[in-house]
Amino acid sequence: MATAMTTARLGAEHISRRFGAVQALSDVTFSAAERTIHALLGENGAGKTTLIRALSGLDQPDEGWVVNRGEQVRFSGPREAFASGIAVVQQELALSPDLTLLENLVLGTEPARGGVIDWRKARARAEDIAESISARVPWDRRAGDVEIGTQQQLEIIRCLYRGADTLILDEPSAVLAPSQIEGLLRLLVELREQGNTIILITHKLEEALSVADEVTVLRGGRVVTTQAAAELDRSTLSQLIVGEDLQQVRAPRTTPLGAVVLDVDRVQLAGRQRAVGPVSFQVREGEIFGVAGVAGNGQEDLVEALIGLRPCREGTIRFDGRDITTASVGARRTAGVGYISGDRRHEGLSITEPLVDNVAIGSHHAPPLARRGWFSPGAARRHAADVLRRFRVRHGQVTDPASMLSGGNQQKLVFGREISKRPRLLVAAQPTRGVDLRGIKELQQELVHARDDGTAIVLVSQELDELLTLSDRVLVMFHGTPAGIFDPTETDARARIGRAMLGQQSGAEVAS
Amino acid sequence: MSTPTATTATPLEPAAPPPEAGTRKEGRARTAALAVLRTLAPVLVALIVGGLVLQVSGINPLAVYELMLTHAFGTREGLAGTLTSATPVLFTGVATAISFRAGVFSLGAEAGFVLGGLTAAWLAVAVDGPVVVVTLVAMAGAVVAGGLFSVVPALLKTQLGVDEVVSTLMFTFVATGLVGWIVNAYLLAPGQANSSTESVPFSLPRLLPPSSLNIGFLIAVALVAAYWVFLRRTSVGADLHHVGVNARFAAAQGIAVNKVVFAAMVATGAIAALGGAVHALGVVGKFVVGGFSAEYGFTGIAVALLARRSAWGLIPAAIMFGAFANAGTTIQLFDNIPLDIVDVLQGTVMVFAVASFTLHLKRRRTAA
Repeated sequence: MATAMTTARLGAEHISRRFGAVQALSDVTFSAAERTIHALLGENGAGKTTLIRALSGLDQPDEGWVVNRGEQVRFSGPREAFASGIAVVQQELALSPDLTLLENLVLGTEPARGGVIDWRKARARAEDIAESISARVPWDRRAGDVEIGTQQQLEIIRCLYRGADTLILDEPSAVLAPSQIEGLLRLLVELREQGNTIILITHKLEEALSVADEVTVLRGGRVVTTQAAAELDRSTLSQLIVGEDLQQVRAPRTTPLGAVVLDVDRVQLAGRQRAVGPVSFQVREGEIFGVAGVAGNGQEDLVEALIGLRPCREGTIRFDGRDITTASVGARRTAGVGYISGDRRHEGLSITEPLVDNVAIGSHHAPPLARRGWFSPGAARRHAADVLRRFRVRHGQVTDPASMLSGGNQQKLVFGREISKRPRLLVAAQPTRGVDLRGIKELQQELVHARDDGTAIVLVSQELDELLTLSDRVLVMFHGTPAGIFDPTETDARARIGRAMLGQQSGAEVAS
Repeated sequence: MSTPTATTATPLEPAAPPPEAGTRKEGRARTAALAVLRTLAPVLVALIVGGLVLQVSGINPLAVYELMLTHAFGTREGLAGTLTSATPVLFTGVATAISFRAGVFSLGAEAGFVLGGLTAAWLAVAVDGPVVVVTLVAMAGAVVAGGLFSVVPALLKTQLGVDEVVSTLMFTFVATGLVGWIVNAYLLAPGQANSSTESVPFSLPRLLPPSSLNIGFLIAVALVAAYWVFLRRTSVGADLHHVGVNARFAAAQGIAVNKVVFAAMVATGAIAALGGAVHALGVVGKFVVGGFSAEYGFTGIAVALLARRSAWGLIPAAIMFGAFANAGTTIQLFDNIPLDIVDVLQGTVMVFAVASFTLHLKRRRTAA
C-alpha cells in the first residue's frame, strides 16, 4: 500500500457529458493520486469508457475539467494528453503481427542516426524498461507468434518507452487467462513501484481489491463512492456497483442425469492454429459440461466441430445415438442443437439487422413462422416480441437493429432465440463475455434453468469461476489435446484446473 | 416452456432509453428522405457532369435535356420506346439483384441474356405447334440454357472459392464466343448480311402498336413483384437475405450458405435468359451475332446498383436507363449534339450509383 497518497496526478472535476438523450456522465469528480493504482469500476453503461475518453483527450466533456497534476486542463486531443504523460492501453491491441516485438516497440518513434535506425540503442532502452518492471520480453519474436499476455506487456512498455508515466488500462484482463492475469497484476504493482500512476478499468472485483490503492465506483454516470480498497470487500463492492445486493448464482443439482445426448468419440480435427484431438467425452441430459483452456488451445475449434462449422478428420460425434459427424449445421440445429457463439457481434447476431430477424432466424422455415415455405412477417414479429419479453431483453421496437441493444441484452436475445427452441444440446461459448455483473448472473441462471429442463450443455468459458460454479465436470484443453477432466467440487479443483490450463500437470486426472 | 426467472421486475441494464414517439417519426421521415436522396443523387450528379461536357462543347445542356426528356416521356411513341428499351435491362436488373442480395457480385446476366436469346430464337423456329405453346417452350428452353450455363461459375464459386467477378466475366466471353460459333456453324439463316438465325414467324403480343413494346415488359414487372414477394414472404427469401447481410451468422444459424449462393447465381443466369428470350421473340425476331445485346447484362448491373436493396426500385432504375437509350436515338438526329453524351450520362450514373452519398450525412453515433 502506498504511503504518500497526497499528490494528485490525474482526475476529473465536475465533468458532465451527454450523448443525445443519454447522460453518460453527470458531475463526476475523482482523483488518482501519484504512484497509486486507482481502480474504476461500474457496470456496462456506467460511464467508465466516457470518463477515460475525457481523461485521455479522446472526447471533450460538456462541462467540467480534467485535472492534470493539480491543474485544470482541457486536452484538445490524445496527442496533448500523451504529451502530459497520459497513455491509454486499449483492450484491442494494435500491434503489427509480422513485425518483431522490438520493431513494434519503436514503430513510429525509431531512434535514428543519420537516417538509419539505431537498433542497438533501441534494444538497450527497451531492455532497460523491461528490466525496471521485471518483465521478460522475447524481443526478436514476431508479435503474431507470442501470446496475448506478452503482446499486452509490450503495449504497456511501449507507452513507457514513449515517456508516459500515467497508464489508463481499459479492461486489460478481459483477454487473458487466469495465470496471465496474475502476471498482469504483478506488472501493475511493479509499475506503481517504479513511480507510475495507473487507472485500471475492470469488471473483476478481485483484481481491483487485490492491487488497487483506491477504488472509484461509477453507476449511471455518477460517482457512487471513492474509497481505499483496503476498506472494501467483495460483497460491499458488488453492492455499490449494482446498487443492490446480488445473489451468487447457485446451481445445486436437484434432478439426476439422464441419457447420453452428446457422445464425442476420439474426435480429431484441423484447428485454426493447431491440430485438435483426439478428444472424447459424453454429456448427459441435465448436465453442464465445462470446457476450460487458455484462448487458442483448441476449445474454439472443438465448439465449431460440435456445431458443424468445422469438419472432423477422425472420430465420431453422436447425438442422441445418431452419428452426426458429417451432418450440416442446419441438420444438427433442426435435430435440436442450440448454439451460443463466442463471437456475438459477428456470428451470434446479424448486428445491423432488426431484432425480429435476429430472433426469427432458424425458426423461419417451420410453423408458426412459416407454412409450406410461405413466411409470415406478422407471426415473426409476434414470436420475436414474445421471446424478447420472456427473456426480458430491454428493447425499443422489434424493428430496431440489434446494435441498439446493450451487450447484455444482445446476449439475452441470443439466449432467448436458442433456449426458446428447447434444444436437446446447447453449445455455449463464452456466454457471459463482455456482460456486466447483473447480466452475467441472469445469463447463468438461464443456463441452470435449461439444464434443469433436461438440456445437455457444453459450456466453454474463460471464466474459471463460471465454470466451477455451473459445471458438473470440467474438461481442460491444452495445446489441442485434453489435459484432463476435473470435478469442480473437489477442494483444490481451481488450482488443478489452472495448472492443467498451462500444461503443468502430471498424469490425467479424470473424474467422469 | 422454460421461463426465465423473475427475481426482479425493474429494468435490468442502463441501456439507452427508448426514443420518444416524435423522434421516431422524425427518424422514419429522415430515413425515407435519405433513401430518395441516395437514389436520385447519382442521377443528379450525372446530369451535372453531362451538362458540363455539353457546355464545354458549346451546346446548351438544358435544351438537350429538355429534348431528351420530351422524347423519352413526352409522347406516346417516346414512352413506348423508353419502356421497350427498359424491358431487357429490367430483366437483367432483377437477375443481378438476386445475386447481389446473396452478397455475390455476379456479372452472369450478360451471358444468360445472349444464351437465352439464341435458345429462344432457335426453338421458336425449330418447334412446330400453336404460337402460345411454342412461345412457352422457347422461353422455358431459354431459362434452362441460361441456368445451366451459370452452374459452372456457381460451382467454381461454392466448391473452389473462385471469385465470382472473375469467373462470371470470363464466362461472358465464353458465352458470346459460343453463340457466335453455334449460329455460324449450325443456325445461319441463308441470304442475310449479318450472321443471324432465321426469323421467328411470330412476335410477342404488342401493347402499343406500332411500337415494339410487348408483353415482355409486363412479364418483367410481374417478375419484380414476384421477387418482392419472394424476399418478404418466403422462408427461402429470408435465407437469401441473411446470407447476403452476414454469411457467417447465417451459417452458424444453420442456413446452407453455399446452396443459397449457388441457387442465386444460377437464378441470375436463368432470369437474364428469360429476358433474352423476350428480347428475341418480342423485339429482334431472331438472334443476331454481335448485335443482339447492347450489353444489357452490364446495364442490368447498374440498374441493380441504382435500385440499392429495393425490389420496386428496379423499375424506375430500368426505366431511367431505358430513357437514356431511347433519347440517344433522338439525339442522333441532331448532328451538332455529340451522341456520346448519352454514354457520359450512363457512365456517370453507374459510377455514382456505387458511391455512398449518405456516408457523409450519417451522424456518427457515439455511445457512453
